[in-house]
Amino acid sequence: MSTKMLSLILAGGKGTRLGKLTANQAKPAVPFGGRYRIIDFPLSNCANSGVRNVGIITQYEPLRLNNHIGNGSSWGLDGLNSSATILQPYTDNGGSKWFEGTAHAIYQNIDYIDSQDPEYVLILSGDHIYKMDYADMLEEHEKNHASLTVAVIDVPWEEAPRFGIMNTDSSGRIIEFEEKPAEPKSNHASMGIYIFNWKRLREVLTAGFATADDMVDFGKNVIPYYLKSDERVFAYQFSGYWKDVGTIDSLWQANMEFLDGSDGLALDDRSWRIYSKNTIDAPQMITENAEVTDSMIVDGCYIDGKIKHSIISANVDVQRGSEIVDSIIMPGAKIGKNVKITKAIVGEGAVIGSDSVVGEENGEIAVVGNKEKIGVLPNENK
Amino acid sequence: MKTSKMCAIFSNQHEYSQLKPLTDERALSTLYFAGKYRLMDFALSSIVNADINHVYTLISQEKVRSYLDHLGGGKEWGLDTIGSYEYLDFYQNLMRRRSRGENYFDDLILFLKTCKMPYTVFIGNKMAANFDLKAILHFHQSNGNRITPVFKRVEKDNLAPDDHIFVLSDNNVVTEQREAIELTSEGPFNLSANVYVMDTDWLIHELEKAQKSGASYDVSERLAALAVKEKANAYEYTGYLRNIHDIPSYYQANLDMLEKDKRDSLLYGNQKIITRIRNEVGTYYDKESDVKNTLISTGCTVKGEVKNSIVSRRVNFAKDSVAKNAVIMANCKIKSGADVEYAILDKNVVIEKGVTVKGKPDSPVVIKKGSVISKDFVLD
Repeated sequence: MSTKMLSLILAGGKGTRLGKLTANQAKPAVPFGGRYRIIDFPLSNCANSGVRNVGIITQYEPLRLNNHIGNGSSWGLDGLNSSATILQPYTDNGGSKWFEGTAHAIYQNIDYIDSQDPEYVLILSGDHIYKMDYADMLEEHEKNHASLTVAVIDVPWEEAPRFGIMNTDSSGRIIEFEEKPAEPKSNHASMGIYIFNWKRLREVLTAGFATADDMVDFGKNVIPYYLKSDERVFAYQFSGYWKDVGTIDSLWQANMEFLDGSDGLALDDRSWRIYSKNTIDAPQMITENAEVTDSMIVDGCYIDGKIKHSIISANVDVQRGSEIVDSIIMPGAKIGKNVKITKAIVGEGAVIGSDSVVGEENGEIAVVGNKEKIGVLPNENK
Repeated sequence: MKTSKMCAIFSNQHEYSQLKPLTDERALSTLYFAGKYRLMDFALSSIVNADINHVYTLISQEKVRSYLDHLGGGKEWGLDTIGSYEYLDFYQNLMRRRSRGENYFDDLILFLKTCKMPYTVFIGNKMAANFDLKAILHFHQSNGNRITPVFKRVEKDNLAPDDHIFVLSDNNVVTEQREAIELTSEGPFNLSANVYVMDTDWLIHELEKAQKSGASYDVSERLAALAVKEKANAYEYTGYLRNIHDIPSYYQANLDMLEKDKRDSLLYGNQKIITRIRNEVGTYYDKESDVKNTLISTGCTVKGEVKNSIVSRRVNFAKDSVAKNAVIMANCKIKSGADVEYAILDKNVVIEKGVTVKGKPDSPVVIKKGSVISKDFVLD
């Protein structure tokens, strides 16, 4: 059974810069926007673009992620000629197959990709928030007779030195790639989204690793090699909202942009739904004592306190007298009485004892880890 | 691996004209309840929470669309997996076969024989309750019953005219059963919850006997009579139960969910209520919003005032709108300056700018599905 375009989502990264939030789970599994996890975005984009076979490459702390993805049924990837396959490192006669980089992870999964027999492979990151039609990108790839198409987004010039910058000619062909250039010649930043002709990429990876010309990383090795070999490499211009949520600051900011609607993501647009594993919780209860303004709240919550400009994820309890401002409370967190939480991210299943104070208005973003306990908890108060 | 010793007959044939227009296009058991649920979710969740995955659905063929639309392939309830077995049958089919002198329970008997489960539970799907069927089975086994009926002590206002009432002796043994419509005294009454746990072999035998003698095809009525005949020991359900048969009972049952003990019993018990997944975004509360004492589902946008209400998915409350003591179904739009009080808004209703819709606590206004209300509607 062949598939035209197979998607591979790189979801194995540790996300070191997210600190406590990724202490026990991979970055793509980090909750976003109240009811999603970051990986829901590429997975839903695949589903909505008609990409029906998806391999999810995991490595670091994959338990939560695997549990979330399951057989892919939440994204409709469990139907006929559809599949969601978790790809974890394994050992064989040649030794262990830990993934040492983005391209190396693809190389280590050649057997899986061959089994799908794709004409094209779509390489995605598991840690970006955006909506994108990959079918449109494939159409351009085919129209350009490209060997590789790289999705690019124009970033503000002052930020360009933080990105991999693609310099193109007038036809959109990439003629030069500069990783984090001090003096960028363009502001077309690579989004880490690639469509490769699989036959060619397979040759390049296999030959590279056979001759110690290691093709470990797409940005460092593969793309420069393609350009050097005069392959047809094209840019696909993307212009919507796109956010790498790799840091505490950017995660907080992306959530707030989502709350304010300034991201233009329109997650309530039912023609391009973002799907997620749904735990089917009761509706949210806003009590007589609650005061909720400028906030987003999800199923299973019990709100007896004051919520201002915050996102409250599924199954969160906020007890009386507590006040949550400019914060993101992740699923299952329990907030006691008279707690004050300001400009914070409270991790999944965290427990904040009554009268605790977390964060301050003009301070750094405060982070409470997953399942972390703060303050005096009811059961310890006996 | 057999995870359960029971198979289930999931059934309702009752429709109440007093629930119109809410049941114009949908069956009673697919009525919205507590925001995101449909009435049938409660019985079906009780079934699957007892690890039962052999389900014979026996309903009325009218308005079957709402049923199939909600149930789909049964995925959310785990009824689409290997080893599960679903069968759909209609009361009209039984009735037709009976009038032709055919064996009208044969399909049901075949189902019961195919399942090879020692016990069968019959469960009606028109009441809001959260039954622990494993506990009832345990009671059934330890009492050595052939049939175990389930009852709840209720007041008269929690009865529909066609409900069955049990008269019980000291040890909760069923000595008599009556239709609620015949009752003259005041409560409390032992309302049949229309849940029966039975020995499957005995049930097959009784169904064969029934169709031979041309007895009624109404399974639930038959079981109530058999409970008396068998002098069955009844199981008392003490959790939340609300019987929905007219507009006031529907309205009140919804508003019950604003009370903590009732909500906890029905929605937050140790058995989760499962419903269809819709993948909505979280509910957004604007800077101007003022929401108090309200149970609200996801996908809503709230810019106005919402108090003492039950709100389903994707409802939009515009700036300066007011909704109080209201039951609002999915996808309604309350435009700016509109005022909705003591009302039930069916799905897709639009209340235009500045329009007032106002009922009374004991007789809420009901707005039909899809209506656009552009003139005030106030009950005196």
